[in-house]
Amino acid sequence: MMTYIVFILSSIFVVGFVGFSSKPSPIYGGVGLIVSGGVGCGIVMSFSGSFLGLMVFLIYLGGMMVVFGYTTAMATEPYPEVWVSSKVVLGAFLLGLFMEVVLLLYVLKEGDVELVLEFNDLGDWVVYDVEDFGFVSKEVVGISALYSYGTWLVVVTGWSLLVGVVVIMEITRGN
Amino acid sequence: MNPLIFTMIMLTVMLGTMIVMTSSHWLMVWIGFEMNMLAIIPILMKKYNPRSMEASTKYFLTQATASMLLMLAIVINLVYSGQWSITKPLDPTTSIIMTLALAMKLGLSPFHFWVPEVAQGIKLSSGLILLTWQKLAPMSILYQLSPTLNTNLLLTMSMMSIAIGGWGGLNQTQLRKIMAYSSIAHMGWMTAIMTYNPTMALLNLAIYILLTTTTFVMFMLNSTTTTLSLSHTWNKTPLLTTAILTTMLSLGGLPPLSGFLPKWMIIQELTKNDSIIMPTTMAITALLNLYFYMRLTYSTSLTMFPSTNNMKIKWQFGHLNPTTLLAPLIILSTLILPLSPILALLE
Repeated sequence: MMTYIVFILSSIFVVGFVGFSSKPSPIYGGVGLIVSGGVGCGIVMSFSGSFLGLMVFLIYLGGMMVVFGYTTAMATEPYPEVWVSSKVVLGAFLLGLFMEVVLLLYVLKEGDVELVLEFNDLGDWVVYDVEDFGFVSKEVVGISALYSYGTWLVVVTGWSLLVGVVVIMEITRGN
Repeated sequence: MNPLIFTMIMLTVMLGTMIVMTSSHWLMVWIGFEMNMLAIIPILMKKYNPRSMEASTKYFLTQATASMLLMLAIVINLVYSGQWSITKPLDPTTSIIMTLALAMKLGLSPFHFWVPEVAQGIKLSSGLILLTWQKLAPMSILYQLSPTLNTNLLLTMSMMSIAIGGWGGLNQTQLRKIMAYSSIAHMGWMTAIMTYNPTMALLNLAIYILLTTTTFVMFMLNSTTTTLSLSHTWNKTPLLTTAILTTMLSLGGLPPLSGFLPKWMIIQELTKNDSIIMPTTMAITALLNLYFYMRLTYSTSLTMFPSTNNMKIKWQFGHLNPTTLLAPLIILSTLILPLSPILALLE
């Protein structure tokens, strides 16, 4: 069961990527990102990262993508390009989809793919990690490490985010 | 740009490089690269026009791709070895991907196309930062990885860089593009020696930065960006014509000048490693570089371009841009060669 959940999530993940890399208008590209992002959170959760998955879902999708969608809605053209409104976009999308379906069928039938990376069989999608062995979850250890001896890491990350905002405002404010 | 914001951004550029150079954890190395890349963008776009916007977009895309490759290499390394330490030798796959990522950041040959494009689109002062300070972080990582680097891959890229750095600059009249191609060629020399003697690569980096700084400061004095406007130097700052001549020849690596030192040491080191054909090819392709430097000296200080009589009389005493430390820079970039016995202390 677990195998097929992660397998199906992974295929939807790639469909989302195909969706935005076939270059529709930005606002629909955002839709593809949202699909991939949400499904990605599911994959992370399946690999026993429930807190990380929740964080990504809340911050990446809940915060960032909302702002992105809002700004693109404010800024884009009056007749945005959907996947079906242009032959080029539709062709790219269908080609990507076709490639993915072929790959998926190949994986399901043969169970052994060796293109660039090696997928032995569907067993690669099984989550072997067992939570019961540890007394505390790895995530909790990681988070608490960030706030004890990883203080400076948090400081550096926070400074980077602050500078990121300043940089974006600086380069978009015009002259 | 607001001075406060400018200070903040410059500090972050420096902080990013410092974090990369001092970290022993791969994640922090990556974070340092990202900080540096984010903060350099507004500096590249200091002059707000479509050209600089395009240039900084190109820079951003290239560097982001390189950062992604770096992250990929780090993650593969983590999967194989189970640790984040930078001091542990890499396995061959990781080493190749990491080398490619750093080559992309440095502008080595198969990934060199962004360098002239970006350099030409931005201000001279931003170009100075781009071609000097931005090389420090990737070069320091290459230095730390030098025992485990793939020599064949690195040497192929460096030979191509030297050839293309010489070849690309041949018909250029734009000074920033010439400096960009010069940068590509010098990066080729640095990475060629990297696996044999990393100290020599650092020496070459130091002298390259010195020479490039001097050249850019001299260009900034009159806001010169073309060969034609450089050829008017005799009329504005006559003394500078000599300085440009010596600095250019030093960049080309002619014997009594400081630019000769790294070339000499590198050729010697390669010869010591029983490599004859490679340093010969490198020296010969460096002549292409020397050719376009000499063309610059020719048009600047060895001849007078045909012009109308009105141009030969200086009728307006224009304002020169302030130059910090130009005099010591010129002296360092031409006369440092007799100090080379100090290198014995570095070994």
